[in-house]
Amino acid sequence: MEKSGSIDSLGSKQSSSRQPSVDSLSSTSTSRSDRSSHAAKPPLAVFSDNVSTSTEFSPELRGRTKAVVKVLRDANKEEPQLLPKEHVQDMAKDVTYICPYIGALRGTLTVTNYRLFFKCTDREPVFVLDLPLGVVSRVEKIGGASSRGEVSYGLVCKDIRNLRFAHKQMEDSLRKSIFEVLMKFAFPVSNGLPIFAFEYGQVYPENGWKVYDAQAEYKRQGLPNESWRITKVNDHYELCDTYPSTLVVPVNISDEELKRVAAFRAKGRIPVLSWIHPESQATVTRCSQPMVGVNGKRSKDDEKYLQAIMDANAQSHKLFIFDARPSVNAAANKMKGGGYESEDAYQNAELVFLDIHNIHVMRESLRKLKEVVYPNIEESHWLSNLESTHWLEHIKLILAGALRIADKVESGKTSVVVHCSDGWDRTAQLTSLAMLMLDGHYRTIRGFQVLLEKEWLSFGHRFQLRIGHGDKNHTDADRSPVFLQFIDCVWQMTRQFPAAFEFNEYFLVTTLDHLYSCLFGTFLCNSEQQRVKEEVPKKTVSLWAYINSQLEEFTNPLYVNYSNHVLFPVVSMRHLELWVGYYIRWNPRMRPQEPVHQRYKELLAKRAELQKRVEELQREVTNRSASSERAGSPTRSITPVQTFV
Amino acid sequence: MFSVKPLKPTFKSYLPPLHTDLKKIAQPPIKKLEAKLLPGEIVVNEVNFVRKCIGADSSQDDLWGKLICTNFKVSFITHDALCKQRFQVANRLLGEHDVPLACVEQVVTVNDAKGKQKVLGSNQKLKFNPTELILYCKDFRIIRFRFDEAGPESAKKVCLAIAHYSHPADPQLLFGFEYVGKQYYGSSGKRMNGMDPGGGVQTPLFDRPSEWDREIKRTGAAEWRVCSVNEGYTVSPSLPEYFVVPVSLADQDLKQYSCFFTTHRIPLWCWNHPNGSALVRMASIADPLQQRKLDQRICSAITKSHPQRSDVIKSDLDKNLPNIQDIQAAFGKVRQICVIEPFEESEEKWLSSMESSRWLEYVRAFLKHSAEVVYLLEGKHVSVILQEEEDRDLGCVVSSLVQLMLDPHFRSLIGFQSLVQKEWVMAGHRFLDRCNHLKKNDKDECPLFFLFLDCVWQIMNQYPAAFEFTDTYLTVLSDSMWIPLFSTFLFNCPQQRTENSIDFAKSKCIPLGEEKALRFPPVWDWSQQFTLKDQALFNNPMYVGKGATCVQNGAVKSFRRTKKNYSSTLRGMPTSLRNGLMDGDTLTRRSSLVLRLRPDFSQIREVVESPTERFLRDWFSRPADLQGMLLPQLLPSHLALWRLYFLRWVPEARIPKGGPVTAYHKLSQVADEIEMLQNKLRQYKGVTPVSSPGAPPSDHSRMYFKASSTSEPSPEYLSSSFPFSPVGNMCRRSILGTPLSKFLNGAKIWLSTETLANESV
Repeated sequence: MEKSGSIDSLGSKQSSSRQPSVDSLSSTSTSRSDRSSHAAKPPLAVFSDNVSTSTEFSPELRGRTKAVVKVLRDANKEEPQLLPKEHVQDMAKDVTYICPYIGALRGTLTVTNYRLFFKCTDREPVFVLDLPLGVVSRVEKIGGASSRGEVSYGLVCKDIRNLRFAHKQMEDSLRKSIFEVLMKFAFPVSNGLPIFAFEYGQVYPENGWKVYDAQAEYKRQGLPNESWRITKVNDHYELCDTYPSTLVVPVNISDEELKRVAAFRAKGRIPVLSWIHPESQATVTRCSQPMVGVNGKRSKDDEKYLQAIMDANAQSHKLFIFDARPSVNAAANKMKGGGYESEDAYQNAELVFLDIHNIHVMRESLRKLKEVVYPNIEESHWLSNLESTHWLEHIKLILAGALRIADKVESGKTSVVVHCSDGWDRTAQLTSLAMLMLDGHYRTIRGFQVLLEKEWLSFGHRFQLRIGHGDKNHTDADRSPVFLQFIDCVWQMTRQFPAAFEFNEYFLVTTLDHLYSCLFGTFLCNSEQQRVKEEVPKKTVSLWAYINSQLEEFTNPLYVNYSNHVLFPVVSMRHLELWVGYYIRWNPRMRPQEPVHQRYKELLAKRAELQKRVEELQREVTNRSASSERAGSPTRSITPVQTFV
Repeated sequence: MFSVKPLKPTFKSYLPPLHTDLKKIAQPPIKKLEAKLLPGEIVVNEVNFVRKCIGADSSQDDLWGKLICTNFKVSFITHDALCKQRFQVANRLLGEHDVPLACVEQVVTVNDAKGKQKVLGSNQKLKFNPTELILYCKDFRIIRFRFDEAGPESAKKVCLAIAHYSHPADPQLLFGFEYVGKQYYGSSGKRMNGMDPGGGVQTPLFDRPSEWDREIKRTGAAEWRVCSVNEGYTVSPSLPEYFVVPVSLADQDLKQYSCFFTTHRIPLWCWNHPNGSALVRMASIADPLQQRKLDQRICSAITKSHPQRSDVIKSDLDKNLPNIQDIQAAFGKVRQICVIEPFEESEEKWLSSMESSRWLEYVRAFLKHSAEVVYLLEGKHVSVILQEEEDRDLGCVVSSLVQLMLDPHFRSLIGFQSLVQKEWVMAGHRFLDRCNHLKKNDKDECPLFFLFLDCVWQIMNQYPAAFEFTDTYLTVLSDSMWIPLFSTFLFNCPQQRTENSIDFAKSKCIPLGEEKALRFPPVWDWSQQFTLKDQALFNNPMYVGKGATCVQNGAVKSFRRTKKNYSSTLRGMPTSLRNGLMDGDTLTRRSSLVLRLRPDFSQIREVVESPTERFLRDWFSRPADLQGMLLPQLLPSHLALWRLYFLRWVPEARIPKGGPVTAYHKLSQVADEIEMLQNKLRQYKGVTPVSSPGAPPSDHSRMYFKASSTSEPSPEYLSSSFPFSPVGNMCRRSILGTPLSKFLNGAKIWLSTETLANESV
């Protein structure tokens, strides 16, 4: 998608030096005036636009004159460099892109089965817009023919921008407008076409689907142990079709009992272990709401089950149940048969509501946020406008909830049960954030991938529904930026602990970009079961294959691996900030802050260079002193160079 | 002068158990709780068995000790150590729990039992015995003492003394005079405290012609000259003795013109752009009849001094920027929401409260206006006059910011200090009034210098490698305003310093000799306040300096002040826009989508930019050269709250083991290693390490965190407040202070506290 530039180059990685694609070229030259051209490589724009001389190259390309020359040669091409299995579907000249920052630009529009590519060459610098069709949420023809005989189209994108095009009314009215072609390929699912990820056949050195192995991850946590066992009861997803096949449950609960518990939990999502504290044995378990209903139904099995979870932790005689919802909403769910655990029925359990709102509220909040940040921000009321979107307030509540969970487990040595209604949205946010605070392993790049694979993908966060991949039904009430919020929370934590995460901001932006791009199979489908059925791992490439084959770009050089370092972020509006590098990246006036990381890398390079020189001189001196010793003259003794890495 | 009665030890019965049981044999001899005094410092009043509150909710962490009021500070002496882990950079002039009187904003006394509280001014009465004293400090600290076990009368006396002594009626009552005056009594010739009138540093103070000459040469301002027409302050009392004017203006002309300017302030040269354009600051012309003629004369003289005879553009600061009352009000509001209001309550409306304080809006306004001036100098090649009524407030901020953006020299430590010296101290910024050291006239109080520091911080925040110094430096510099010893912040203008010096010297029979004024140390002599090791906290490990050849993208770059470097930004202005398709009205609005897209349309029509905007956009589209011109991003989304300054004392906002310092820690270690390697290389080459001017001796690392500790995990005490700590410095109470009332103007000696206490009974 946007990074297609880097992907291309990756593809040609066999030839060791990365070939810059048209994208990198075009974005280089266009960056001066319109950052929306960074459709080409938006995430790169975030990091490469700094002290460097070549604005938009990926880090490796910087300063290599050879690369620049190549790039300039490609400048005149009107077509994008295509990915494997990518085909041009239509092309139209004299299309106008109405850029909210520069104004109208006339150029050539190309639509492939993967992307939209617009290029305006009669302008210096050349302007390019390159975006994967997966980003498009909605295409709409605006108005009829105007006096000038032009028709106009608006594209609403999932990545916080709107694009707008216009072109001459086709004289041959039988011929389809390019936008009708675009609509077809932007919404393949609605048009009976395959999602591009199933066609894209790029081979990467690593198979990203192997990053997560549930057994291995539980083994890392020391499971199974005397209190927890791994059950195969869901091997064929018969207990719960939205859960993974591998589940960890208390030892003294039989599979038969699990089935009875499943009957009492919404969608059969029983409490299962997500994480266990290596010392105190306090656990984080997740589930869906109990089917209490208006009559306050009880389940002996469920009560016994929670008791077993509590008993598995000898350190505490209490169990905390964190219900992510506001108490009002939780109570309202009783009308639909759901509800929450009553403290009468669950002895020794304390129920806490975390007041996090549902997917609809979050969707609305993001809609408002988009209005505030795109295309331009209103200068005089920026902060109050931002406040009125409640976006940061929601972020705060989610982080605050995760912090309470982490604190109970770490400081209170108490096991916790986390649920919301179905246990696949807010619950995923809370458990994964709490685990990120508690366990440094998840703060590494691979560990974070495991965390996503485990808490989000295997436990059935409904990515297909929440994102609506290839689906034209943009008003679908199931769409919601739940995962975006989670990544935003992670970013907030990286701001507070700049040295505690192995990955950098670019990694987070890239993950979000490919959440929509449909280039990789990672975020397709709603559950593990569906992914197995669709043979996603067999037929598509994992995002982690792409990322792990160029880790350098995604690594935070400041990372320090503290062992047993639990992070307790300060969850206060005083420290939360809008993620400008993501939400406002399309604004050409938004210059990313000069990254500290880049400077740190420069310092490391300088250190290496100096070390080399010192070592050379040292050798020289040793040689010389060897000869001078023979001559009998003493030399200054010099301590060997210490290296600290 | 001070009538201080020693306290009688009559309060045995109040002894808290903690202190009575000290008779164990094995214990070392009990150290007496005595104030550590500076030269010239005198104890005014003291009270024992005072509890300093540490936690807001419980008293279990509180410290027991003696509360002392001197003529310099409020001192709390204790043998107890703070239980909580904390790191607080030590100040050589102050003890761990001390607050300079000049830093005390408000003194509040409380009597719990009677439910009474009173804000104490100078020479005021107190009709109840205080059980509690709360000091609201200018640096945002809130410190609380309890007198439950202390002698009620002594407690009251100390409170009154603090209130009184924090309201000096005359500049000469500021402690700096006694302190500096002491030097002359003792062994004459010997400097105290390693003090050096030159500042102990290479910072030019611009109090002599040679330093102006050097600045003229450095900026290539060939057609400008140093003028000494104001020697002895005969022309204008608020101007420095030496300043720079166009060569075409003779001393005689200047003298003649001076009387038409507000307070006789002749226009001052600030800086020259390599393209020849000059930055000049000027007071308004008082006589409307002379206005045009004089304007013309000044402008033509400036034009003549330009190699290309470029035009001069005047920038009216009063019209375009908030005034000092607005700024003061905004600052008060930010302070209110940051430290006074209960933390949780202010969370909900935090963003809109920040907005309604208008502080960031004002910071932005100054940055924006300065960027516009930069455009004129850099983009239009014209000279600029910054005009302000008196040219002593807004002009200081704008002229310094413009120079910081345009000239990398001022982003070095010495350069920055010289900039403050040039554009603030010498240009006659009323530090005494704006700091309100005398607490005489609240209307004059305005944190203009702090606003400037915040603006600098914003640029620093956007370009973390562009400055030689850190935001710790900026914070400490701001705090130094409240230590009334430094020539930098004590006076309204150089002339006032001279006048008060002579006056004080006369009254104290101090022989000034050849010197024009007392040797107040400038704040730039940092060894007054901090050890060499702690001064390393000022150094930015990321700095891409002029001297330091930096590796940027593999290429070794070094900056030269050349024309080429500057003019490059003028190329490639975007072609004008074609508006053919932007007629939104011809569109039929059909769906919500249309409505949602409509803002885009209205935006499109506004794409017509001002030349300044185009200039800025053009500059932003290129990679920044940290040793060239530097412009701040001005979108409101890119201005941030200076958290270290505003939130360092707020315990709830402290990120344990986190914050930017964790990155600084790692960067410092690598920078230290690089330094060690460079030294080694020099050794090998047989060159004895030569310390570049300004740098500490090279055997002393410039970095606070040393490479040798790389293997260790980062220190536990690192937090977002580092190197400060909220512990013991922030003890909010649910009462809000009322504005200070002012009393007793004019007296040059302190009233005795005995008198005060007697009056108040």
